[in-house]
Amino acid sequence: MPSPHDFRLQDGTVIDHLPVGMSARALVILGLPRDGPVTVGMNVPSARFGHKDIIRVEGLALRKSETDRLALLGGNVTVAIVKGGKIASKQRLEVPDRLVGVIRCQNPTCVTNHERVSPVFDRVSKAPLHLRCAYCERSSADPYVFVGA
Amino acid sequence: MSPAHGFRGRHVVSADDFSKADLLSLLDTASYFESDVGPRLAGKILATLFFEPSTRTRLSFESAMHRMGGSVLGFADEKATSRTKGESLADTIRMVESYCDAIVIRHPQEGAARLAAENARVPVINGGDGSNQHPTQTFLDLYTIRKATGRIDGLKVGFFGDLRYGRAVHSLAKALLHFDVEMTFIGPSMLRLPQELRDTIQARGRLSKEVESLDDAKPLDVLYVTRIQKERFPDPSEYERIKYAYRLDRAGAERFGPDLKILHPLPRVTEVATDVDDLPGALYFEQARNGVTVRKALLSLILSDAELPAR
Repeated sequence: MPSPHDFRLQDGTVIDHLPVGMSARALVILGLPRDGPVTVGMNVPSARFGHKDIIRVEGLALRKSETDRLALLGGNVTVAIVKGGKIASKQRLEVPDRLVGVIRCQNPTCVTNHERVSPVFDRVSKAPLHLRCAYCERSSADPYVFVGA
Repeated sequence: MSPAHGFRGRHVVSADDFSKADLLSLLDTASYFESDVGPRLAGKILATLFFEPSTRTRLSFESAMHRMGGSVLGFADEKATSRTKGESLADTIRMVESYCDAIVIRHPQEGAARLAAENARVPVINGGDGSNQHPTQTFLDLYTIRKATGRIDGLKVGFFGDLRYGRAVHSLAKALLHFDVEMTFIGPSMLRLPQELRDTIQARGRLSKEVESLDDAKPLDVLYVTRIQKERFPDPSEYERIKYAYRLDRAGAERFGPDLKILHPLPRVTEVATDVDDLPGALYFEQARNGVTVRKALLSLILSDAELPAR
């Protein structure tokens, strides 16, 4: 177990290349902290993007519903799985073609806000990210309202 | 005679789901259905579920069904249904589908027709879902334009009035993107076309101009007028000002020349003066009549193997 002064991930997850300021939203999305230690870096220098936010969480394995949500925070977010203190795998998150039950439609008169049905969004374009509600056909703009939030 | 492929059993939720070939097939079929086509739909039942008021849409669907020997059941007032007991829309649809061969639904919530279609094993036709879609209005608008002018390609079409909230405007403008049409938008700045739709029309090279005055829109072949809704204005005096500024009268219509075709999805309030009605180009009541013809064709294509005249 690492000491509080020398925290290195042994087995856990690194969420990297979050746009500056987005780490706070990522913590809310993931319900962190849970059991293990969490370190958050905000506005850290990045060779590729100038500055970024980064989160390191011991003992966390992300579910697909969680990576789908994190992908909405920015186009370059990566998730690395750390095992035995080493990076075992790393992936750049992509918003899937269709998001089911991830974000709520912001149109108050959309049927998904009144009936028992999961909101569904189709990705119309990747960059800029453009999502459209499959029911009311309205575009949804950031900030996204997550289901269950 | 050639069969119209791809309509049998199909849901009609959004005009965007229909290709140019689909639209042309439907318009050709509708031309054929101008005459009495006999009891093509004898034994078929259409359910009309109107969760909010409608005059033209409900009555024209019912008329279309009756004229083809079919029958109709349904309601025109949600208060008379189990919805008041809290029944979900999905459950209502699963129950109704076993009573009929197709369902027409009008509902105040956007996306309700899509949700109904997902829960129905019979075709669902959207008769208007909130401010989102009203595909059969678009079909009959296209039909009226082609019938009156003999073409769609090459026309200059103006949209006049509420460009921001009018679903008939949005849906028809998107359908016209399938054709070589120049579109002009005439309305007050606070009721401009939504940016996303404007950008789409411009990217396709079909946006002619956006103006605030009708006189700046000339020349036009077709003028599509819509009602400006009072409830959209926080300041009633602003509504009164705009209501009178955005009004087509006979002199204004005549400035476009004798060939201008004037359409309006109705109901009309003050935006088209009654002295326009007897101009030969005033087509809005014929447009409402065409609603029955187009809905006859659509119902027939969806519920039977309608045959099309050779092109």
